[in-house]
Amino acid sequence: MSADASDLSLVRRVQRGDKGAFDALVLKYQHKLVKLVMRYVRNPAEAEDIAQEAFIKAYRALPQFRGDSAFYTWLYRIAINTAKNAVVSRDRSPIEYDLDRNNEESYDMQGRLKDSETPEGLVLTDEIRSTVNAAIDALPEDLRTAIVLRELEGLSYEEIAAAMACPVGTVRSRIFRAREAIDRRLREVFEGGLGRAEELG
Amino acid sequence: MNEELDSQLSAMFDDELAPGECELLARRLSRDEQLKARWGRYAVIGAAIRSERGVRLNAPLAGRVSAVILDEPALATAHTARRSGVRWWQPVAAAAGAVGVALVSVLWLRAQAPLAGAPLSAHLTVPSATATVPGAAVVPAAAAGAPDSYVVPRAPAVRVVVPSTELANYVVAHSVFSSPVTRRNLLSAFMSSESGAAAEQPPDEPEGNVQ
Repeated sequence: MSADASDLSLVRRVQRGDKGAFDALVLKYQHKLVKLVMRYVRNPAEAEDIAQEAFIKAYRALPQFRGDSAFYTWLYRIAINTAKNAVVSRDRSPIEYDLDRNNEESYDMQGRLKDSETPEGLVLTDEIRSTVNAAIDALPEDLRTAIVLRELEGLSYEEIAAAMACPVGTVRSRIFRAREAIDRRLREVFEGGLGRAEELG
Repeated sequence: MNEELDSQLSAMFDDELAPGECELLARRLSRDEQLKARWGRYAVIGAAIRSERGVRLNAPLAGRVSAVILDEPALATAHTARRSGVRWWQPVAAAAGAVGVALVSVLWLRAQAPLAGAPLSAHLTVPSATATVPGAAVVPAAAAGAPDSYVVPRAPAVRVVVPSTELANYVVAHSVFSSPVTRRNLLSAFMSSESGAAAEQPPDEPEGNVQ
């Protein structure tokens, strides 16, 4: 299986003028990109702003992307440069963040409190997490192992097949079924709003 | 929703789908909002499993980016517009360049070509007073006031002499096969060199002399 084929097929569509394909790329990489940017800025709202800027820069630079490297590698490079520039310009500005960078916990909490999102937004994130964790706990052992090896360890289907001593096709099916089971519960949270996770147990 | 399609979507999300299938699914994914929402939830599941700290799983980032991109020109359109903007002057520049090169070539050739009827030796000059020719006498730079002189280079010891009748026979025989233009040039060159050489240089001229 050729690595990055899925990203490349989406990238080619964007290069031909299909903006909808870029939405798919943003959806896929938004969390990873925000996490990456948070190595430079600790405030989630600021990290999201920088990630947004990076995505827009990437969109505008996409005609120059030839596919020599993986799309996400290229995108990450843009995000890192954007984050570094943001930090430099912020440091030059008179407003300073008066935070104790050595105290990780208080720093993280202040970052969350500076968040422009409402407290309900934070609660919803926690609710999504607990829903996903509950759904994973409820999965049969083989499905749980397959999805965890894929998402947490980042193993390829072939590596998971070797680890679980089963064909690659079985791995693909297990991961798909695990996602479907989690997604079924997650959809209810997204559609039902707050408190659905508790109701679902 | 078709289960096979969802299975393909899951594999595509993991970069584990064949490129051909990716092309087809990418087209559908970019247009089908329901499929796109599922794709987005697959990303949320992954982020939740990895417990990415500080990352909001319900962030409206994708919506915000999409709104900005919506106002941007589509890439293919923008790219074409940029290319058409530079297209008009490219043939003009190319033609101007070609004309310039041709003009310079013609002028250079005219400057280099010997005058018709002038003897070949008249165009030969010594580049500088210190220039040396193997086997020839050196004219010192101090003799700047002296009239211009010409150093005849020493000819090789063994001289290849082709009898003129033999050469004429060869040229005539060759002219049967050569093109008319080349034939005329060869014959005229042969005739002029025969007559010119006979008139210009006596056969018993000593070699390596300064005239």
